[in-house]
Amino acid sequence: MITMAQALNAALGDAMAEDEQVVVFGEDVGALGGVFRITDGLTAKYGEDRCFDTPLAESGIVGFAVGMAMGGFRPVVEMQFDAFAYPAFEQIASHVAKTRNRTRGRVGLPLVIRIPYGGGIGGVEHHCDSSEAYYAHTPGLKVVTPATVQDAYSLLREAIDDPDPVVFMEPKKLYWSKADIGRLARTEPFGRAAVRRAGSDATLIAYGPSVPVALETAEAATQEGWDLEVIDLRTIVPFDDATVTASVRRTGRCVVVGEAAGFAGVGAEIAARVQERCFHSLAAPVLRVTGFDVPYPPPMLEHHHLPSVDRILDTLDRLQRDDLPDTRFLALGGAA
Amino acid sequence: MTDLLDRPPGGLPYPGGDGDDLELMLMIRAFEYKLLDLFAAGMLNGTTHTCLGQEHVPVALSPLMDPRDHVFSNHRGHGHYLARYRDPHGLLAEIMGREGAVCGGVGGSQHIHRDRYMSTGVQGESLPVAAGVALHLSRAEPGAAAWAYIGDGTFGEGAVYEALNIAALWRLPVVVVVENNGIAQSTPTSAHLAGTIAGRAAAFGVPHLAIGSTDPAEIRDIVAGPLGHVRAGRGPLVLEFRTHRLGPHSKGDDTRDEQALREARAGDWYHRYAAADPAGLARVESEQRAYVAAVADEVAARPPSTGRAACG
Ligand SMILES: Cc1ncc(C[n+]2csc(CCOP(=O)(O)OP(=O)(O)O)c2C)c(N)n1
Ligand SMILES: [Mg+2]
Repeated sequence: MITMAQALNAALGDAMAEDEQVVVFGEDVGALGGVFRITDGLTAKYGEDRCFDTPLAESGIVGFAVGMAMGGFRPVVEMQFDAFAYPAFEQIASHVAKTRNRTRGRVGLPLVIRIPYGGGIGGVEHHCDSSEAYYAHTPGLKVVTPATVQDAYSLLREAIDDPDPVVFMEPKKLYWSKADIGRLARTEPFGRAAVRRAGSDATLIAYGPSVPVALETAEAATQEGWDLEVIDLRTIVPFDDATVTASVRRTGRCVVVGEAAGFAGVGAEIAARVQERCFHSLAAPVLRVTGFDVPYPPPMLEHHHLPSVDRILDTLDRLQRDDLPDTRFLALGGAA
Repeated sequence: MTDLLDRPPGGLPYPGGDGDDLELMLMIRAFEYKLLDLFAAGMLNGTTHTCLGQEHVPVALSPLMDPRDHVFSNHRGHGHYLARYRDPHGLLAEIMGREGAVCGGVGGSQHIHRDRYMSTGVQGESLPVAAGVALHLSRAEPGAAAWAYIGDGTFGEGAVYEALNIAALWRLPVVVVVENNGIAQSTPTSAHLAGTIAGRAAAFGVPHLAIGSTDPAEIRDIVAGPLGHVRAGRGPLVLEFRTHRLGPHSKGDDTRDEQALREARAGDWYHRYAAADPAGLARVESEQRAYVAAVADEVAARPPSTGRAACG
């Protein structure tokens, strides 16, 4: 059995072993091994030149990574928590994301910004943000988030190999999730969503910390006669329209699940894309189950805030199960 | 907006005299140990940063603070709050999410707001805010100041320098209180800070006092004069306290070796009182522990917070 945290640690270690241009740095990533121990043992194994502590200076850390990447390194930096990446946002939005375009393609930045994100750990406001939309909304960034132990390894390896910047968002709630894996391996590349459960009645689309919740819901929903398909996006950018579209065209119903506030979030973008591409197959509006439009609540309230099996089941009730859209639509002369 | 009616009656009043520094320092210490116990017992969530070893700083400074002064605190802020308000009930209720919580349980350990007191766990970001408040104070309430507590590690953040520059340039009444405990989480100051904090203050032409004393009365004597200049409109001041972090950064995350821990413990203000009057110290300590234990029992028995703040 191996945890997601260990899989990430292994991905960093294997990448460092394979390519000595890979360097890891950030606040307390050395002796401490990072607050979540993702960089545990890397300094001991690869030396202080390869894995080192920085001062508290998020903007500096990311700017520094830009310069290092320009010089030929492959930096992997850690932001200690989601909200502590905000001081670095200026570097991320203005330089990390734009350098390739600004240099007419000549200067790529093969760097990875690792950000533990999301809630569910009883943490405070600035330790629980779902900040993926800020990055996804910034052209020039890839935004990646694993939901399984295997993907944590594979996607991080992929991110480090990528010739362009990747914001790698680690669902901290899943750090301690375990899987029985013989050998960690590379799987699908960026831009391929995974169908985690095949089903025919409706499609649940989720990513990162919401994937296990969606899967749990799918199991619970069988009691009510639903056969749900669950899609794990794996990469928010690039977005896998093909897998999503094929699924919803088949099931005719879609619910998007995510922890972030709903307004102007990634879930809104997914809902928009689905209705643009699957309109004639939809039997019901595309619905979202998200965090509420409030700052992250205190620990005792977070279970209300986070999408839960119950909230997703309630939402399924609004999908007009009895409707038979395709036939009705065809009866009206449609061509779906 | 003070809404003390939210608070169940019968909260134990703070037993210490208003002027008794030792009682207050020991109350804060007992409070911090209680938090660690509550965490160990699974009664608290998230994380917390105790100020064990640094209690004397806010205890020394709080009497120098005018009620019109604004105070900006950081992640290690329980002592800052308790020294200003002597309100362990409200703070513990806040951290535990119980009725009577200072901020209705929404802020927790690191985001407290009460009157002219505000904390944030995001390092360095409150310094520019303090400077902005100070500009307003200088025009609307001359003589009042904005205080900001920060750690040595926070000198890595760029916002600190943007604020120092502006505060010095515009002669704003800002007092930066640095609790230099020689470490930031797991990174010793020698590994995160080039030059010195004094040198950084000097670069902006800001007066800087290095304070090694752990005696609150002595500290107040040292600070009173320079503080007068701040209040008179001559610009900011940096007070750098040499402190020692006795506990882990938060919980169970101490990477220091035995030697470093020994040094930290040797610098504890506690020893000075122990040497002077061991019996007196023991008596006050057991009183304060009993008081905090009773506060904790009482607060733990309260119903969950409804989200209404007990204090404005
Ligand atoms: C912007 C930001 N980055 C990172 C952190 C995580 N963090 C919390 S406390 C801390 C160390 C702070 O060190 P210092 O300023 O010396 O204060 P001390 O903890 O020693 O009191 C770090 C890195 C944070 N709170 N805010
Ligand atoms: Mg420090």
